[in-house]
Amino acid sequence: MDAAISGNLIDLCVVAMLLLSMLAMTTTRIAQLLNAFAVQSLFLAFLAFVIADSTGHTELFIMGGITFAVKVIGIPWAMRNTAMRLHAGREIDSTMGIPGSLLVSATLIIVAYLVTEPLMATVDTIARNCLAMSMSVILIGLFMMVTRRKAMAEAVGLLIMENGLFLGVMSISYGMPLVVEMGIFFDVLMVAVIVGIFALRINKAFDSIDTSVLRRLKE
Amino acid sequence: MMIDVEIILLIPAAAALLSAVSPKGRAASVSVIGSAAVLIASIPMCIRAFEGTVTEYGMWYVDGLSSLFILIIGMIGVMSAMYSRGYLLRDKEEGEIGTGDIRQYHIMFNLFLATMLSVCVVSSVGVMWIAIEMTTLVSAFLVGFYRRNSALEAAWKYLMICSVGITLGLVGITLVYASSSHILGDDPGALNWPILFEAASGLDPVLIKMAFVFIIIGFGTKMGLVPMHTWLPDAHSQSPTPISAMLSAALLNCALYAILRFQMIAEATVPGFASALMIGFGILSLAVAGAFILISKDIKRMLAYSSIEHMGIITIGFGIGTPLAVFGALFHIIAHSVTKSLVFFSAGNVIQGYGTRDMDSVRGLGKSMPGTAFMLGAGTLAIVGLPPFSVFVGEITILSGAIGAGMYHIALLIAAFIVLVFAGFTRNIFSMMRGEPSGKIKAPRGILRMLPMTVLFLITLFLGLFMPEQMSDALWSIADWFTGAV
Repeated sequence: MDAAISGNLIDLCVVAMLLLSMLAMTTTRIAQLLNAFAVQSLFLAFLAFVIADSTGHTELFIMGGITFAVKVIGIPWAMRNTAMRLHAGREIDSTMGIPGSLLVSATLIIVAYLVTEPLMATVDTIARNCLAMSMSVILIGLFMMVTRRKAMAEAVGLLIMENGLFLGVMSISYGMPLVVEMGIFFDVLMVAVIVGIFALRINKAFDSIDTSVLRRLKE
Repeated sequence: MMIDVEIILLIPAAAALLSAVSPKGRAASVSVIGSAAVLIASIPMCIRAFEGTVTEYGMWYVDGLSSLFILIIGMIGVMSAMYSRGYLLRDKEEGEIGTGDIRQYHIMFNLFLATMLSVCVVSSVGVMWIAIEMTTLVSAFLVGFYRRNSALEAAWKYLMICSVGITLGLVGITLVYASSSHILGDDPGALNWPILFEAASGLDPVLIKMAFVFIIIGFGTKMGLVPMHTWLPDAHSQSPTPISAMLSAALLNCALYAILRFQMIAEATVPGFASALMIGFGILSLAVAGAFILISKDIKRMLAYSSIEHMGIITIGFGIGTPLAVFGALFHIIAHSVTKSLVFFSAGNVIQGYGTRDMDSVRGLGKSMPGTAFMLGAGTLAIVGLPPFSVFVGEITILSGAIGAGMYHIALLIAAFIVLVFAGFTRNIFSMMRGEPSGKIKAPRGILRMLPMTVLFLITLFLGLFMPEQMSDALWSIADWFTGAV
């Protein structure tokens, strides 16, 4: 592939991932949120293919494939099923309104650029910009975890953080050793499964997966 | 072919399988035998490591530092497995749990043991990260074991807060890898700790500094450093008591172990930065935990804050970084694990006897349960750092390390907060001893309850009076090696 084209494709994927995490902040329904996550993961998988093709790091093809299977299909499907069983939990409540959330997300992107600035000089891989973008996605995911009140939405926030992390790994070091990446994927999958189990248990115990009911333990 | 490491990982895995298929009521024995077997199997390898022979093959790497943690995990595992048996039987009599729950508990218990051991034996820091995340996933079930609303809440917080923390830790590992793959190229071993450590002086300082910030925040969450500690009192207070002991005495150490590995790398790259951060977090943890111990009402929450306090002291010890301070910190890890499990076990007896965790509603412990009262009293005196117990030796060594390094203000702060903790602890615990017991008290009995407590009591007393030469040699060799690098 032509270097210019692959460079453009990488930029496209990265920007799309960032925009999708912003989109995820604006959704009010769990199904939309899962869609946003799935599409974001799709861009992540595509990014892996593009980088693998343009730099010759062939193990990234495998990573892209696994990302597609696990994050684009597996996890969203499993979580959608769980959400269906929890009839209570279709709406996502947030402690902050959508305009506020977007404003904070925008601030987080600026913060990410400031934080990663000293690192830009030391990293000379194809996608320097990716580092700031990946930090932005991580921070936005974290912000989602903090402000959303439904168990499922908190879990998606965590998964978005992990997407941002994989974006960072790919852009600064073309992926970690394969064993490690496989292990991390397995972990992500387990997190999704266990979160689902606990969401079901919480729903059964409290008749809601609104995590604001989880406020009893304190001094 | 060497299979030393595989054996100590396969034993708990096999024990987990066995407890899944064992006949009714046998699962507890499987755990006891399994964890004892792990401890025994790991001893030869650990002794070799203390003598300076590193076990390194395949994806494994076991040196003196790892061996110390492996032995602690093994020992606490045996003690908790023994104590679990009686504790869960009582819960079953009370109708809180069923036979199936006990089986599930033992499966998870053994898996938990296996994941914690794997943290300490792997060579790649990436795999270490995976192992630490697995400990969270497995132990979340143990924290939420009782399925009460409050236990579910604790498990959920634990799962979420630690997963986020550990994800931030992975950002740090990514940055380390970005820096190391720069030098080492596409070497698949670019995340292996020995290779990283060798290359450490050539790593990029800016990247490593940033990486260590993420790592201490990420793994510090798991270790219970303030201000990332919020999951810890909830999880410790809601889980079954033997699990509280495991969390406090073994799991927090695993996270500490990971931080230490990165501290060594960071210190070789940019001297002083990582240590200063560790001292800062340590002091903060000590201070906040001290304040919360004063106002605690729930006995297990108080013990949880005490774990935060001791993790703070240990972190400061490693942060000071002189051989004496590091020696003290290493010894303090052992002392804290032994003593804290003793206190948790005796607290478990009180909780089951009186049916409450609220310290204000427990009175007359000396009359109703003299054995437990003795252990709880001795354990309290030991954990607040009075002689002749081991925690005292650890604390005084770290203090002298601080003074020896010229950090008088730090020594002063540590001493002041230890006094604060002493006041809080003794006031809360000894008021439970006095008075007349009221209400229906069902004192727990059974040799498997008293045995681990007695053993732990004797160890903490023995180590306070006398330090075996082999142990002191082993700890000094780790401390010298550690500080040689720092």
